[in-house]
Amino acid sequence: MDKRPALAPDPAMESFEPPRLPPDDRRWMTTPRPGGVLGAALLLALVALAAGQLREFLPENVSILLFLTAVLINAAAFGFWVGIASALGAIAAFNFLFVEPHFTLHISRPHDLVTVAVFLLAASLTGLLAGRLREQVEAAKTRAAALEMLSQASAELAAVTGPAEVTRIVLRHLNRLSEGPAVALAPQGNGLHLIAALPEGYAPEPRELDAADIAFRHGRAELAPAQGWNGQRLSFYPLQVEGSPGPVLGHARLAPDRRDRDLRERTIEVMLRQAEQALHRLSLAQAAEAERRRAAAEETRAALLASLSHDLRTPLATILGAVTTLRELGVTLPPDSQADLLAAIEEEAERLARYVEKLLQLTRLNAGIAAQMTWVDAGDAAQAAVARARRAWPDAQILAETGDLPMIRAEAGLLEQSVFNLVENAVKYAPGPIRVTGTVDGDELVLAVLDHGPGLPPAVANWLGQDGLTGAPAGAGLGLPICKGIARTLGGRLTASRDGAGAKLALRLPIPEAAA
Amino acid sequence: MRERQLILVVDDEPQIQRFLGHALVAAGYDICLAGSGAEALAQAMAQEPDLMILDLGLPDMNGKEVIERLRLRLDLPVIVLSAHDQEMEKIMALDLGADDFVPKPFGIGELLARMRACLRPRRTARTEVISQDGLLIDLTAHQVSRDGELLRLTPKEFDLLAALAGNAGRVMTHRKLLQLVWGPAHVDDVPYLRVFIGQLRQKLERDPARPELILTEPGVGYRWARSERGTA
Repeated sequence: MDKRPALAPDPAMESFEPPRLPPDDRRWMTTPRPGGVLGAALLLALVALAAGQLREFLPENVSILLFLTAVLINAAAFGFWVGIASALGAIAAFNFLFVEPHFTLHISRPHDLVTVAVFLLAASLTGLLAGRLREQVEAAKTRAAALEMLSQASAELAAVTGPAEVTRIVLRHLNRLSEGPAVALAPQGNGLHLIAALPEGYAPEPRELDAADIAFRHGRAELAPAQGWNGQRLSFYPLQVEGSPGPVLGHARLAPDRRDRDLRERTIEVMLRQAEQALHRLSLAQAAEAERRRAAAEETRAALLASLSHDLRTPLATILGAVTTLRELGVTLPPDSQADLLAAIEEEAERLARYVEKLLQLTRLNAGIAAQMTWVDAGDAAQAAVARARRAWPDAQILAETGDLPMIRAEAGLLEQSVFNLVENAVKYAPGPIRVTGTVDGDELVLAVLDHGPGLPPAVANWLGQDGLTGAPAGAGLGLPICKGIARTLGGRLTASRDGAGAKLALRLPIPEAAA
Repeated sequence: MRERQLILVVDDEPQIQRFLGHALVAAGYDICLAGSGAEALAQAMAQEPDLMILDLGLPDMNGKEVIERLRLRLDLPVIVLSAHDQEMEKIMALDLGADDFVPKPFGIGELLARMRACLRPRRTARTEVISQDGLLIDLTAHQVSRDGELLRLTPKEFDLLAALAGNAGRVMTHRKLLQLVWGPAHVDDVPYLRVFIGQLRQKLERDPARPELILTEPGVGYRWARSERGTA
């Protein structure tokens, strides 16, 4: 297995929601909120009350400073309009309490008008300044949030292992940034198909799908028209992966009157670039992996060919050598030498025949020629394989323990060959007696070969569990790949396990319902 | 001196050992067996065989290594058995001092002929006159004649001819011939050698297009065809 660097996706990241951009409602000229008005009125009333109580002790010009302070506080805390209202209220209260004639709102002295003007000016200036300051703080916060979002997205994208993850992550952020639905569409067949949407279950309207299609075909962004105009409500951006079209991502139209709209737009743009890069990286990694696999398969094929040519060459060399010896030196050979040479020729010819048979079968399995399935008694097939194995290796102890087994759909020749190959493996690599058993396990028929050997090397056992037929590790020989191929052709599988002190290789085949 | 010559058979395949055993004994040799490179070297030291038959596909070391280590101690003839996918190893083995090769699979007659060529005592002094198929090569007088008619050879051509005919029946690799005739600086000039072989064939062979004296071992070198009647 390949070892990935320690950049595995952080599970904490998965549950971590992207940071929110702050809401856009605290603007300096927005309509005052009831809380603000109430607070301002309260503060003003408090100051008026205090000034009224202390009227005897405080000179008039100190009282007016108290009122001015209250106005400034209100303007700074609650904004421009509240500030202006506070100024008017303060003038009224001051006039009412301190200015002759007392307890009327009548302004008799001209310099009181100047006071009114100063109050209004101070209140509006303070309100404006406070509002701007607040605005700047907001803007800084928004930028920070956007940056945080981007860095989080890029960290997540750096750790992704598949394109679906990329889409999921980007959609989550688009959803947050646009404060509306986000969708991803991918080219499939002759059109675009929705592959993900947030919130889940959101279905884009036909006009939106049309817009996405246009974006995809033209290879450029298709922006949603401004609010109030006809058209789609989502903006679509086609992604390019290695020069070829990738998925199309869409997000809800950004509210046009928001001041952080530009920032959001730019953030979205950067995020889309990051998504493209992540997809690019994935496709490169995929290509590298495919190349690695191809090289490994090539290597295996070369190793298989080398072992095969060796397996074929040795019997041939023996046969040719023995035959020429008999012919050219026959007269000088003692009779038992002649007999031994003949025996060697026979053995090697049989060995050669087995190899050729295996090669033909492997070719057939690799070519994907369908098996001719008939009703087969698996027990009979196993018995036939055991009988053949006993003929091939008279010294080996091979026990057949197949009871009454249900009939299965299979090709008898293939079934026999696969059991024979498993027995051959056991004869070659394991000492002691070999048992061939047939059992029923649920809806599977299990033909198992048990030996007292060390079992398969881990690489080979691991390969058995995999999907492909090719890429068998060197040393697997021909027998096992053929068995695996046969098991697959017959709709079953080949498994390897430990059984007591030995190894168990089992051919598991489905039992048709009619036979069970 | 042993009555029968002792042959060391090095092969990891028991079946090959089996038939070679019967064949060599019947052909009048004594044999000893080894299944690995290490065993082969040990046997060679202990038994001092007259010839070694070495399979190139040994499990523990490649044939090149066996020959290298063998040549440090002993100078016994070695015939390598090689498969088609061991061309490079075969050539390296020959360059390192193996005497000949037999490609697998082989008939026993071919192997026995190669063995006889290798077991003949090597020529020590060039006092001989080689006579073969109407061709007379006087190695001391540097003269070659066919059917009494003197052939004109350049000195290099004659050196090449002497190198080949002096090792009749044995394969001479390109490298070995180039080193013998042109010196160690030219061991890679195979095209050069080819030109001279062509000229020699023009002058010596009855039909230069179908050579009967200088045989080509494709990719390996050349071999002087030995007449089984022996040299005069």
